[in-house]
Amino acid sequence: MGPRSADAWARVLAALRASPAAFVARAGAEALAAELLSELRSERLSEPTKVSLLAAILEFPTQLWPDPTAAEAAVSALLDTLALLPPRPAALRRPLLLAATSVLASCGALAPASAATSRLLCVLLRAAAGRAAGPEQRAVRATACECLRELESCHPGLLAGQLGLLRALQDTLGTQAHCLLFVLTLRDALGALARAGPGAPAGLHGLPDSPGAQWPGPWDWSLAGEDVRDPAAPVGREGGRPEPSAGPLDLTPPEARELRAAVSQLLDASYLLTPPAQAQMLQQLSQVLRTVRGQPPALLKPQLVRLLGTARVSLLHAVLASKDAFGEALFTAQDEALLLRRLVGAAQHPALPSPARLFCLHCLLHFPENWPLGPAGEEGTPVLLTPSLATGLLPSLLQDPPDLLARLHLLCLLCGEELGADGRRDCQGTEDQVLLYLQGLLASLRQGAAQPGAPRSSVTLCFRASYLATRCLASHPGALAQLTKGLAELYQARPCLAPHFVDLLEQAGEVLAEPLGKALQQVAVAGAGGAQALQWHLQILTKVAGGQPLGPTLGFLWAALGQGGDWAWEQALLGACRALLRGTDLSGAGPRNLANLLQELARGLDDPDSRDRGRLYYSLFTHLSGSKLGSALGPTRSTPMLGSSLVEENEGFASALTVQEAQAPLQLRRVPQQAKEPPVILGLTVEASEILYSLELRFRVLGPHYEPLEAVQVPCLRPGASPKLLLLPLEPRRPYPTLLDVSVLYATPGGLTCYAQLPSLPIAFADLFLPLPPPSPEVTHPPTFQELWASCLPGGAESCMWGPWQGQALETLVTKHWEPFVMSATPPTSYRVAIRLPPSSQLLLQLEAAGEDGVRVALRTDDWAILPLAGEYLRGLGATL
Amino acid sequence: MAQRAIWLVSHEPGTPHGGTVRFSRRYPTVEKRAKTFNGSSYVPLPEDDPFCKALLFELRLLDDDKDFVESRDGCSRISKASVYGLPIGGKELWPVLALQKNGLIYVSVPLVEQTLSAHPPLISISGISQAFDLLFGLIDFFDSGPRTEADLSTKVSQLPDLLLHICPFGTLLDSNFLLDNFSNLSIYQAPKQPAWKAGTYKGKPQVAVSITEKVKSMQYDKREVADMWQVYGTITCKCDLEGVMPNVTISLNLPTNGSPLQDILVHPCVTSLDSAVLTSSSVDIMDDSAFSGPYKFPFTPPLESFHLCYYTSQVPVPPILGFYQLKEEDSQLKITVHLKLHESVKNCFEYCEAHIPFYNRGPITHLEYKVSFGQVEVLREKSLLIWIIGQKFPKSLEINLSGTVNFNTMGHQKQPVDTICIGGTTYVKLYFRIPDYTLTGCYADQHSVQVFASGKPKITTCRELISSDYYIWNSKAPAPVAYRSLFL
Repeated sequence: MGPRSADAWARVLAALRASPAAFVARAGAEALAAELLSELRSERLSEPTKVSLLAAILEFPTQLWPDPTAAEAAVSALLDTLALLPPRPAALRRPLLLAATSVLASCGALAPASAATSRLLCVLLRAAAGRAAGPEQRAVRATACECLRELESCHPGLLAGQLGLLRALQDTLGTQAHCLLFVLTLRDALGALARAGPGAPAGLHGLPDSPGAQWPGPWDWSLAGEDVRDPAAPVGREGGRPEPSAGPLDLTPPEARELRAAVSQLLDASYLLTPPAQAQMLQQLSQVLRTVRGQPPALLKPQLVRLLGTARVSLLHAVLASKDAFGEALFTAQDEALLLRRLVGAAQHPALPSPARLFCLHCLLHFPENWPLGPAGEEGTPVLLTPSLATGLLPSLLQDPPDLLARLHLLCLLCGEELGADGRRDCQGTEDQVLLYLQGLLASLRQGAAQPGAPRSSVTLCFRASYLATRCLASHPGALAQLTKGLAELYQARPCLAPHFVDLLEQAGEVLAEPLGKALQQVAVAGAGGAQALQWHLQILTKVAGGQPLGPTLGFLWAALGQGGDWAWEQALLGACRALLRGTDLSGAGPRNLANLLQELARGLDDPDSRDRGRLYYSLFTHLSGSKLGSALGPTRSTPMLGSSLVEENEGFASALTVQEAQAPLQLRRVPQQAKEPPVILGLTVEASEILYSLELRFRVLGPHYEPLEAVQVPCLRPGASPKLLLLPLEPRRPYPTLLDVSVLYATPGGLTCYAQLPSLPIAFADLFLPLPPPSPEVTHPPTFQELWASCLPGGAESCMWGPWQGQALETLVTKHWEPFVMSATPPTSYRVAIRLPPSSQLLLQLEAAGEDGVRVALRTDDWAILPLAGEYLRGLGATL
Repeated sequence: MAQRAIWLVSHEPGTPHGGTVRFSRRYPTVEKRAKTFNGSSYVPLPEDDPFCKALLFELRLLDDDKDFVESRDGCSRISKASVYGLPIGGKELWPVLALQKNGLIYVSVPLVEQTLSAHPPLISISGISQAFDLLFGLIDFFDSGPRTEADLSTKVSQLPDLLLHICPFGTLLDSNFLLDNFSNLSIYQAPKQPAWKAGTYKGKPQVAVSITEKVKSMQYDKREVADMWQVYGTITCKCDLEGVMPNVTISLNLPTNGSPLQDILVHPCVTSLDSAVLTSSSVDIMDDSAFSGPYKFPFTPPLESFHLCYYTSQVPVPPILGFYQLKEEDSQLKITVHLKLHESVKNCFEYCEAHIPFYNRGPITHLEYKVSFGQVEVLREKSLLIWIIGQKFPKSLEINLSGTVNFNTMGHQKQPVDTICIGGTTYVKLYFRIPDYTLTGCYADQHSVQVFASGKPKITTCRELISSDYYIWNSKAPAPVAYRSLFL
């Protein structure tokens, strides 16, 4: 493929952007990545085109370099390109830094051992510390800071060793980028120290001696975490941020003083940052202060007063976060009241955009109170939010649906308790008014939804509002009755809303479902809406008929049967019958009528499938008792969108037939086995964490070098029982190490068949060792070691190496690893070992201790291909010493 | 505190897909963190096409809302603060913040630094407010200037570069996308200068202050329902001043009988606020002791035009008091509208119109009317009467319209259904603008602006009153109540 033109690249990048996975699969990640990198140095392409190539690298690095090693090479290539740029201003410098950072951080190449990592960090630190004054240099400096900040975000603690340098830069240059980088690094460094506990390697490196910024020496990874924080965070709070189990960090007095000075200085300059940057800085400084013992949060106070007045969502959010972090230590009761009033004001401010108002309203319902009464993490109205304070937050019909619902929710929460209880707070006396208001609003919404041709959005709004109000009205039978009546009227006016009713019945809980079900059944059996509404009535009856008296439903179904219809109609009819079968009212004349109806269905329906089902129901009904009938027809899961109830009621059955993918509830462990002759035996024990039956363990050796293994059956495994031992005969075609892929198929006590994939087991070179076969009785003179040694050549190979085993080590080694294979020995200095490697190779070792320096190992084999494996094996033994 | 991805989707009703992705930007480094933080509840970002489809479906912008779909229409699935969960490949992508404005959908997916197995409250997600800032910034960017397709395309083509500066790794550095050129970017900030004011102004010093007040009203003319009206204002400033950080103080004044300003929200460049300004709130019952200014706002101005502050106020009377009666008689409607301008209001409009719409009735076939003042325009197909009152009310300050209207009910089906104006429930809506006037009386003049910088600046001030949601409901039928006095 020749070099592409700028237009061709634009097309390629558009295709990549549209569907990265498909495009990379088509074009080949490696080829595309290599082409992108080489084109960056091409002189044909213009700078804007190259910037667009870098933008693609910035955005899709994981698709282009799925492998960390390749990613590392790519970062090096990008840095090489950067080094080749001419010293004059170049538009490529910033995107190159960004792209290299993105590739390094997102492809998993950021690591202590990575050369590209150290190179990039050095380049970035140098660029961030640059002093040149031109606009280009300023931009590169800021970009380098951003890149460092991103690396630090991905790997908290990475820059902890450079804290002094960063502080100095922040002092002298003081730009937003430097401030943000320093704050983040400071937070992460303190967090890492707090997590490390009292035995931390060092205190705050370099923070106290800020003026003398030391240039980075060898990189210190001691405080750098594994990756981003461990996600074992407490529920409802982000990140495992310094909420350390070891408690807050104790700093020495000079360190603490220095920290306080640094924080105050940052806060004083925070006015100079853009609002989103201020919000970030404030949140991170709150975290800093929270990490360290004895740091007064009052430092934040002067800034909070300024921020409280602003209309920015992010600044308000940051203020709330610091309130959450420090509570009363930062916000007195009066401050809390003021903050709440500001929040109420913002939530109803007509000049703010609606989403911002809604967010403020959400914050009100999760307001971090100094002394919360309700459970944490749940929505609730703060104690200070009195109904009179919330007057401006009432819902009204003219608001947009999201506003209306959010305000209705607030009203319900605000008055939920008061309406039920005997008028606490100052809601007493207004109870009836609130109820009337709520009912009026709901009635208007129902009226809107009842309009013929009303859009689904207004219908949905009506049902959502009813759902919210139900919770608030639960203790008000009168109001609930009115809601039920209104909804029944709505159904009467528009039976096509049946799916919404079914949904409401499921979601709203018993308190509404019970009376509403009854009311809807009455409307349905009365047959409102004529023949077109029949399908909707059947849908409602399928949901509610089970709990209602049988008679009226049966009458309706008989009448419906007379009208006839298509397959779907027949299925709907059968669905309603099924609901009756599972119902509770099977007394009096009902059962006989139901049996008659089922018989009529079995005979009279057009579709043979429907007739069969009718017959099945009839047989079940006439032969099974009520409780068995209920379980035979299975748990009902109402899924109104399902075309056929056949699928629905067979779901449980079908899942019993299908193999389920599961997490393996069992563990395999290797047990050493020493076979005397072929085959090599691999010993495994199996333990289960729950009862499992009819296990079939399937083994597959990866690669072509082994005969296939047969599956092993185990009838039963119980937790706590002694582990079951399995002996797997391995038949290598070549004596090479490999991996054993293990999967298991089993039955659970619940009757499900499950399939699970277990972790692969490695088969090492040493696992294949066997002693030489014992001499057969016919052979009078078994070959000596010397004869075997000589017989290896010329067909085989020989090698010689030095082993670092001194003194007794050689004897220990032989006892531990080669005991069965020793042919002759002069302990503790000389051993001759002969190992057989199935199917037909052998490995001979002559070990001679050479004084105190180590051991000379001579090895010969009749199979040259195993020589590297043997070498690796011996080196491995040396390493374990 | 970062964003995983940003999308800009245009809603194109009537096209096969209903919309297209105009722009998208993913942040792989943030995605890597999302994977670790979210653990097993991590849901990968979808490609553009499936995302667009799921978004339009969730926002009900596709034409197929014929059937009930639980994931979209379920009564318990109530989205909070424009944050949605999108079903993608059997899992739910959450939180997706999506804001709609002028046919465009602005979307951002903030990083959640915890597991998502249960949705945490939005307030605990540090990136969520940043997502709001980012999208509001984008909305300002796309709303500025002409809204033609060509302009939109130009702006979309500038986005990759802008984001490379303002949000290179998904962490927002500035929410101001409205820049003359990249040299004004915060990232180019010179040392010891505000990041939001990277450049400096060179030229003749001038300060412009404009006060825009809007008035909302709901009038019922009923004994049992109280009328409601509310004023809210925006102060917009443009300061062209030399120097790195010029200090400016603007004081807003009220005349002696003016209505105090409340719920004051200021721009972040304001350096300090008087506690009386901070605490004056609309939830308090008004009395004479309320703080009535002057309202001082000290600040260092950014280069561009900005909203110095927003406020609300409770004025004693609505500027125009009206009543509206509509009765159905023998298949025709009899209407009477009466409007009265309050004597304290400046009788000098730029325009003043009363719109009288008729919903769910079909096109107008016949109209007979009598007006004491102004002219009436009939839009038959839209079933709308427009009463053009003009620049001035007559000396009596009172005007009337009465008439009868007939409709062609056969043409009814073609018109969209209104779910509020059913039966006799209907309204008259007023549209007016009064230049150089505010209802609160709030004003700024030459003496209100103090500039602590070299050179005497030229100061221009202006003010205006505009109607916004000014409804007068038919007093002969039920009307939706904006009940403010419920708990008082």
